[in-house]
Amino acid sequence: MEYVLEIDNVSKFFHGLVAIDDLTIKVKPGQIYGIIGPNGAGKTTLFNCVTGIYTPEKGTIKYKGEDITGMQPHKIAQKGVLRTFQNIRLFKEMSVAENIMAGYHTKSKQKWYHSIFHTPFYRKDEDASWKKVEELMEFFNLTHLAMNATGDLSYGNQRKVEMARALAANPELLILDEPAAGLNENETIELTNIIRKISEMDIGIMMIEHDMEMVMSLTDYITVINFGKEISQGEPSFVQNDPRVIEAYIGTDDDEEEENNG
Amino acid sequence: MDIFLQQLINGLTIGSLYALVALGYTMVYGVMKLINFAHGDLVAFSAYVGLTIFTQFFGASAVSFVDVIIIFLFTSIIVAFVGVLLERLAYRPLRTAPRLSAVVSALGAALVIQNGIMLIWGPNMQIFPADLLPSTIWNISGVIITFTQVCILALSAVLMIALYFFINKTKIGTAIRATAIDQDAAKLMGINVNRIIMIIFVVGSMLGAIGGLFIGLYYRSLTFDMGWVYGLSAFIAAIIGGIGSIPGAMIGGLLLGLFNALIAGYISTEWAETLTFVLLIIILIVRPTGILGEKTAEKV
Amino acid sequence: MNKTTSIATIFILVMAVFPFLVDSAWLSIGITFLVFATVAFSQDIILGRAGVFNMGHAIFFGIGAYTTAILNVQFGLEIIATIPFAIIFPVIIAIFLAGPIIHLRGDYLLVATIGFNIIFEQVLSNDLFGLTGGPNGIFGIDVVRIFGYELWTDTSIYYIAFGLLIITLLIIRNLDNSRYGRALYYINKDEIAAKSMGINVPYYKLFAFALGAAIAGAAGSIFAIQYSAVSPESFSFMQSVMFFAIVLVGGSASLPGVIIGTFVMFVLPELFTEFKESRYLIFGAAMVLTMVLRPNGVWPATFGNIPKYLKEKALKHKALKDNSKGETE
Repeated sequence: MEYVLEIDNVSKFFHGLVAIDDLTIKVKPGQIYGIIGPNGAGKTTLFNCVTGIYTPEKGTIKYKGEDITGMQPHKIAQKGVLRTFQNIRLFKEMSVAENIMAGYHTKSKQKWYHSIFHTPFYRKDEDASWKKVEELMEFFNLTHLAMNATGDLSYGNQRKVEMARALAANPELLILDEPAAGLNENETIELTNIIRKISEMDIGIMMIEHDMEMVMSLTDYITVINFGKEISQGEPSFVQNDPRVIEAYIGTDDDEEEENNG
Repeated sequence: MDIFLQQLINGLTIGSLYALVALGYTMVYGVMKLINFAHGDLVAFSAYVGLTIFTQFFGASAVSFVDVIIIFLFTSIIVAFVGVLLERLAYRPLRTAPRLSAVVSALGAALVIQNGIMLIWGPNMQIFPADLLPSTIWNISGVIITFTQVCILALSAVLMIALYFFINKTKIGTAIRATAIDQDAAKLMGINVNRIIMIIFVVGSMLGAIGGLFIGLYYRSLTFDMGWVYGLSAFIAAIIGGIGSIPGAMIGGLLLGLFNALIAGYISTEWAETLTFVLLIIILIVRPTGILGEKTAEKV
Repeated sequence: MNKTTSIATIFILVMAVFPFLVDSAWLSIGITFLVFATVAFSQDIILGRAGVFNMGHAIFFGIGAYTTAILNVQFGLEIIATIPFAIIFPVIIAIFLAGPIIHLRGDYLLVATIGFNIIFEQVLSNDLFGLTGGPNGIFGIDVVRIFGYELWTDTSIYYIAFGLLIITLLIIRNLDNSRYGRALYYINKDEIAAKSMGINVPYYKLFAFALGAAIAGAAGSIFAIQYSAVSPESFSFMQSVMFFAIVLVGGSASLPGVIIGTFVMFVLPELFTEFKESRYLIFGAAMVLTMVLRPNGVWPATFGNIPKYLKEKALKHKALKDNSKGETE
């Protein structure tokens, strides 16, 4: 398939406030796609539209060719679109292992009678589930923290658990909302390597990030958003030097002159 | 036509009572997102307090207008005091606790007040003497309206208008509305949230107390658990109007009163209560935010 | 063996021999305790685990009790035969009632369940279709008969109730270590995160209702058998408030918590019969006090429900990490 995600002319309004204005974004399998822009630009709103938490007023969103616009969040997740959250939504009192297990929910095949009566099928399914959790903890270097409550972990580890949880569902599209927020330099490097490894598994990744160094080194393609509208798109090297992008983040020479004179 | 007009009068009267009580619920819910389950029992408590003041200090016989004011005033003050105490002991410690904990505390407080009434005044029904207000009755072409009804309608209208101005035209009222929208932001703007909450409990309890006294005067029989179900009905009224909205509570109360009266007049009184709750369920399913309520969104 | 399992084991052993330790008055209290603990655990599935604000649980308890009563007294069914109906009818009603309200925000759902409970009480009192027997209820319920043997003694009823509680505890324990049980927790802790992981939230909330109703219905059946009668007051909104409070005061999703809660709410008053009049006042004060002092309940639940081999692996890796740190220093 050519694109794992196609956002076509999507607009989202909140009672007259335009949050997203006519955005078109296409993500390929295995591609690391960056979404950047100043705060309040509408990036998280875009993600919420893709994952079904909001329904866009205009436009369509297609996943692997299938129209998922306005579909319920759990159905979209079941199809293979998983995400992490800007403010980290882990189950704080539960252990790392139990949190990651949440991601495996859609892959597990236990029905209610299996769960209640612990049939042999339950045993097989349960063992397979924990095996998957074990593998993911290895991948993310979290095994030693399996029993710890996620609320007690460092930001870096919490973000890793959130990603592990999302990966447990075998997604083909992974949506990361500011995965490096709150991380120090070492943690950011570790995260960058992990994201690269994930993309090598042919999983499409769409990522909001403010850490420019990380974005420029990691992403294959970027769309820049401001006030809900696309102001630039292209490969990192192009976007970096696009004057429209620089203006959005820093302001123009005119603004500087006004400041000096006023 | 006669039945309709009669039930209209009755309905507006009962509705005014519901509205007075519903205001207490809606004000607390608006600011604290808490269903004050103990409010109904406070209302019942006020009826009992009024009864006691009337019988002990005024010999339960006919009194002057000034005396009536005194009775109402003292009852309101006592009940307001208990209301503030309730907030201090059962709700304030739980401001940062999980929502459900506050619900349980509210239920517990309701039980304490309800059974406190029973222990103080005994489990038997009490009768509110008829002599507090003159028993004048007017008969306007078949429609009967009593002096008490007129008092209820008049005073409730005055109180509701006063409350409306208080909430919308005064500085404190604005502070209350701000706190209801966002407690943290209000704090940052220098609003003393603790004081606002105390004011809400004072105003809500006093309105409830006046309602309670009128309930005693109107229905004449008091039981220690009458606050429980009556409070629920008033709460339903608040929901119908839109929980958290003050005009909503007023409208909801009047509508519920009319609904009750019309059902009682045209169908039967036994089914009035059941149908009230059926109405509640329907509204919750179809439009839970009520007539004047607003939807709020959650940031993801 | 972790703490909860040891407490559960002690509790079960004590309750198993209980009838031989006490007199008949206490035996009756013991049966009541078992029945109400079962209902409390079933409410815990809905409120404690799935986090649904159900304040109408007495409805399902009552439907179970009345089903047994009506089928036995009005239609002559053997008690044993009524029990499957006492389980299934509450489930059907649960899905029927909870279905339309399951998507409501917490407080609204709470009020809706209160509404249902009050309507239920009215229906029972108004002798609907001449079946429900009016405010005095239905009496003259038969004894349990299995293969011709009559189980009419309190001791036999005790062990029936005990059996049901054991089954309930097993179901809950199985649930906790399974896909469905975990889903309930995830929904309780963070609905949006749960949705985003593919969990169909309304479906699982309804599942919790159905399971809770089934167990409460079975307990209701035993309740009816114990008293040979049923009446509307036993299934009032106040009863639902009690079940609601038990779970939260004791500690949601916590076995010791629910047991403590049931004990405090239903057994303690029997111990202090002198205070019977002030019983509800003391409850109320206890509820307020407990929430203020311990907002998460007397005995809150703990997590870390993961297979032993993973725990061991975690400890091993932790030790390795600490060692390697020690070497570099």
